[in-house]
Formats: sequence, structure tokens, C-alpha cells
Amino acid sequence: MAGQNVERREILRMLSLAAAAATFPGFSKWSFACGAIGEELAPSKPAVYQPVFFTAAEYALVERLAAIIIPTDETPGADQAGVAEFIDVMTARDPDLQHQLRAGGQWLDAHSQKLEGKPFLGLSSDRQVSLLETLAYREKFRAGEESGRNYFALMREYTIMGFYTSEVGLKELDFPGLRFYAESPACPHRDDPEHRHLPPPQF
Amino acid sequence: MPQQIYDVIVIGTGAGGGMAIKTLCQAGLKVCALNSGRRLDPQKDFRNHRMPWEMKYRGFGDPETRILSQPDFVNTEYVEGAWEQELVHTTAPGTKWFWPRCSAVGGKTNFWGRSAPRFSEIDFQAASRDGVDVDWPVTYQEMAPFYTRVETMIGVASTVQNRPSNPDGSYLPPMNFRCFDRILEAGARKLGIPYLPDRIAQLTVAHAGHPACHFCGDCTSGCEVGAFFSAPWFLLPEAEASGNLDLRTNAVAKNVLVDDEGKASGVAYIDRASRQEYEVRGRAVVVAASCLETTRILLNSKSRRWPDGLANSSGQLGRNLCDHLYAGISGYLPQLLGQPSFPDNVSDSSIAWMPRWQNLDHPRKEKFVRGYAVYPDGGCWEFPAYYDAIEGFGSSFKRAMKRRYPTPISFMTQIPTLASRKNYVDLDPKAKDSFGIPKVRIHFHWGENELQMWQHAKHACAEVLRASGGVLESVDEEPQTPGYSQHEIGTCRMGHDAKQFVTNRFGQTHDVANLYLCDASVFVNGTDKPPVLSILTFSLRTSEYLVAQMRRGA
Repeated sequence: MAGQNVERREILRMLSLAAAAATFPGFSKWSFACGAIGEELAPSKPAVYQPVFFTAAEYALVERLAAIIIPTDETPGADQAGVAEFIDVMTARDPDLQHQLRAGGQWLDAHSQKLEGKPFLGLSSDRQVSLLETLAYREKFRAGEESGRNYFALMREYTIMGFYTSEVGLKELDFPGLRFYAESPACPHRDDPEHRHLPPPQF
Repeated sequence: MPQQIYDVIVIGTGAGGGMAIKTLCQAGLKVCALNSGRRLDPQKDFRNHRMPWEMKYRGFGDPETRILSQPDFVNTEYVEGAWEQELVHTTAPGTKWFWPRCSAVGGKTNFWGRSAPRFSEIDFQAASRDGVDVDWPVTYQEMAPFYTRVETMIGVASTVQNRPSNPDGSYLPPMNFRCFDRILEAGARKLGIPYLPDRIAQLTVAHAGHPACHFCGDCTSGCEVGAFFSAPWFLLPEAEASGNLDLRTNAVAKNVLVDDEGKASGVAYIDRASRQEYEVRGRAVVVAASCLETTRILLNSKSRRWPDGLANSSGQLGRNLCDHLYAGISGYLPQLLGQPSFPDNVSDSSIAWMPRWQNLDHPRKEKFVRGYAVYPDGGCWEFPAYYDAIEGFGSSFKRAMKRRYPTPISFMTQIPTLASRKNYVDLDPKAKDSFGIPKVRIHFHWGENELQMWQHAKHACAEVLRASGGVLESVDEEPQTPGYSQHEIGTCRMGHDAKQFVTNRFGQTHDVANLYLCDASVFVNGTDKPPVLSILTFSLRTSEYLVAQMRRGA
């Protein structure tokens, strides 16, 4: 049952019990229920991921950029969330994205070659980060690098999409949904409607 | 063997069709219901609490098969196959239009937003108040008992609010306000703008044999326990239990058949798989295929007697298409930065609303007539869609994302359009769908009145956010593409005069006595409220009227 979290397992258990015993009032009310409860999920992934679209060199670049955009620090980052795999899977099915990410990667390497005499992955971590800062922060933007900025923005967007839809990403945010609540959750700060006296920020 | 003649044929199984089917079957009539798609199985076709990482494309849908001409929710991977891929409309030059179609049994009620307020006397008699367009041919007083019965049937959670444009009904306990609701409520109060629990068809307690909601927040990808109203959970089981229903799925209605006298005698439909055409005969026909599809079927029902489409002697069939202008205003509440996450997303929709507060005392106080409502929402949603507001990358970015998680606020306007001669649908003379049925062509533009409301709404929402201590970050430059609301209304308007309206006040067409319409196509115009509760209510009334007519032998 890889990838199945506790809540879901609990829900499936409840539903199967309910269906079997027909004690769950909602169940008999659905005119079309066909019985079968949650199918088994796909088997867990192989140890080494083989990219579907990217070449090995391109994939290494995607992995590195994702890891810089959302690094592993006190909490897991993109590398532990399978972000590069997600980007490869999405790209393999999207010709526009294929073109943009391939051309963008080439731009980045050519840019790095011009400034530092090496392709991007040949740079030290610090140099990689400083180079990306000129593409990511408005106050560091430089003229004539719009295509590089667009490429970085796209990589950032897909990294965010991949990370915050992963198990570690939603754990990072402590996503509180898709759970069972006995009643609709209510604001706990009863005497503070404007929320001026909250405890100090935790993060 | 002689062909069976049903008492009534109903096209469509959503809010309008579902209510008609239930009402007619329980009255003892033999009903044949046609539904263009398949039955959904909640265990297989709904999200069922699956997490995004359990999905191949993390819930975003397969990029290769995504329909870019449709809103994102049509492409969601969690309910794959529930929405139609094919477009059955074209647009006139200059018109943009979204038409998401759910042809599964129960239609869009499987996935709807669940806001369920009543229309009011101010809505029905709007023209008398402000002189624009025409009144509805009904009064609130005569509709109120039907609203009460529908609310009792489906369960609506809210509070008594005593607002002139929002008659109170019979309610289950309301959904609770979350932190950001209370902050916005306090801000709105300073400005005299109402911020109240929405009327939401979500069961806060078990109701009428249906279980209470478990607040997972998954609603718009289908409820696997039936804790909010949808036709398959609430209406169709009782119809099937009556033994009077023959529900034919994958039956794509093509046109209504007429006899020599021009009366409805049946429906021609195409079987989705075999592409074969069939005919089914009945003593009366109810069309409830949703506003635009109903109109398309009638326009395609041409005969010698009805050369311009069935029940169209007025020439009004397809005219006066109305919609809701949806547009967003967003920002965040700095008070909540860095606070622990909270289960805000427990309804996948709005728990609160800012019901119409404009033009109540004086119908022409504002630069526009009528009024609009706003749905505020925010807090910890599944996907942190605010990432664009945070610059950069790295650990600082990751921390900022987490700090922001409880804070986002968005306001969605619900602005009704006025009926206009310029907004209508007709048949496209050339384009046909894959079943060979002519497509409709849509002519639609936002009018001055609704754009004035949008200016007003932008300002009001920004003020509420500011008064709540919030930060305004973005205002949609353009409203959502027309059709996005899925609240299309008004192409077969009801009214007393057969020369100006398609149906009478009971939804019975003026031209064809045994043809009835049971969806939002009969509504005279949009209001600040969403249409589903009223579709159910008008359909209940029309169906009971039909039963009475049949008993009288009419």
C-alpha cells in the first residue's frame, strides 16, 4: 500500500465496513454504487529513475535547479520530493514545455559559459546561486536576459507544483485537509475576533 | 410488439431533471429519463481523499489531453472522464465562452459549489423597482412554500439573517467561521458590509437519511458519502425505488418529436456507443438538459409545423442569455503570518458570503441597477497558489511559503448580467458535433451595468480587506471568461405573454401544451444568487403542475 497515508487507509476501512454492514446511511442512498472499494495503488517506483523525456545531462540540470529552488535544509526539499521526476513526466506529455525547457537549459549553459567559462553544472554552488539570483530577483535583473528569466520562472513554477503536491511538500506546510472532522472546524480564538493578540509566529 | 408510450420523457438528470423525475415517478407516472452520459460510481469516479502524490500527474491532469479551451476543473485528474471533452458550441466573432459540460448521471450537481440561497421578491419584481426589463411572472409568496420543501429535502446550512434581498429559510446549523472569516467579518462590519454564513447545501448534521459531512474539503471532486445534495444521492434513488423509472444512459438527445398537430410525441436520441438513432414516445416531454443544451435541443427540433425550432413562435428561443460575471480580488492577512496551519479548506467552497447590500433601500442608488454578492475565501488550501507573490528561491523562499500558508484571502464576485438583445444563441449553420447534431453559436458580451458592478465590487473588496488589516495584492484585470460560472440563464424565458416569452409561469411552453422546461433556461434573468436551489424549486412546482394537468386529462 505504498503512498497511502493513514487518513486514507482509515477512510477506506470505514467505507468498506459501512458498505458491508449497510449501516452507513449514505451508502444505500447512492443509486449507482458498484461495490468495489479503493483499488490497490501502483507499486512503488524503481530505485533509479530513468527520465522519459530529458537526456541524462538535461535531467541532471533539472534536478540541480529544483534542489536550489527548494533546498533540503531543516526540512526535506525538492530532491526528496521527486520533483525532477514530476517535471520529466509532465514535460514528456507537453510539446510546448519540451521546447521551452530544452531551449532554456541551453540558454543557461551558454550564459554560464559566457560569464564563467563553464557550463552551469560545472560551477560551484555559490556561483550557481549568484547566477540564478540575477534571473530571480527584480533588483538584480540585467538587460537582455529576458529569455533566461522566463526559463527560470518556468522551472520555479514546475518545481513549486511538484514539491507542494508531494508528501513531504504538504507535510512541510502541514496541510490540514482531506481528514475527518466531527464538526466544521471553528476559529479557536474566541475572545479575539480581529486576531490582534495571537501567539508569536511559529515560523 | 407495439412501442411503449411513457407518460413523460425527461431529458436530463441534474437538478432540474432529477427533481422532475423524482416528482413524476412518485406521483405514479411512467417516466423515461434520457441522460447523455454514464452513471458515476462514487468509489471509482470521485476523488475519495486521494492525495496528489498518488496521482500520476499530481492531480493537474495529463498535459497531453488537457482541454485548454475549458477551465482547469474540467481537466482535474481526480474525476477523470466525468466532464465532456467535446465542445458543442461555436462562438460568434468577438465572443469568448466556456461551456463545461458534465454529462454523467446527475450532471453538475455531482460537483457543484453548494451555495443555495433563495431568490427574493426584490429579484422577482426587480423591473417594477428599477424600470429595467420585465418582472418575473411569479411572486415570492407563491414560491416560498416550494423553497421550504426543497430545503427540507436537500438540507441547507445557514442562519436567519433578516436581509431584504435574502429571505430566510429552514436551515441546519451553520458551518463555523474560521480565523480569517472572523477577521474579515470584523473588517466588513466597520464598513457596514454584511459578512455572514452562506446558505450552503452541505450537511452539518445528518439529515433525511443522509450522513453528516466529515469536512474533508473534497466536495467539488464528488462526495463519496453523499453529505451534500446531488441528484444521484438525493433524488434518483427514490425515483428508481418507485418502479416507474426507465433511465437510459449514454442516450444523447437530438430533438423532440412532434405529431401532426404540433404536439410533443417523443424524443429522438443517439446511442453514444453505437451511434444509432432511437426514438422514444411519451404523452409529455420535459426538457431539463441545462440552459444551453435545452435551447440547442429545441432549436434542433424543427418540423413543418415549427420551422424555427420547437415552441418558438415568439422568436425568443435562445434570446436573452444571462451569466454571472466572476472575477477575483486577492491579498493576505499579515496577522496570520507564521501561525500554525488550520483546517480552513473544509468545504472546498465558500462557507461565508457577502450577500447583496447594494440598491436595497433605493433601487437606483448606485451607478448600476440590481446588485451582486461576493464569496470570500482563504486560509490553508491544499495548493499554495500564492507562490507568485513571493519572489526568489532557496531556504528563505521556502520559509516565506510556509509563513504565508494560513494567510491568503480571495474574494470572488458574483455579478448578474442584465438580459440583452445582443446576448443570444442560435444554431451554427455549418458546425456539427461528432453525433451529427448542429452546434449552437454563442453571442455574448459583458454589458455596461455588470461592468459598473465590477468596478464597485473591486473597490468594496479592497476596502474590506484594508479594514481587516489585510494587504491587497492582485485584482483580476479581466473578468473570467463568460460561461465560467456555469450559471447560464434565460434563453427560454417564462412570462405571461405568448408573443414575448417561451413558457408560461409554470414552465409549460406557450406553443406546445405538453412540453415543459425544468432548468434555468426559463428564468427571466440572473440575480446575485446562484441558480441551483431555484432550479430545484421551479422544477418541483412545474412537475407538480404537470401531474395535475395529466390527471385532468389535459
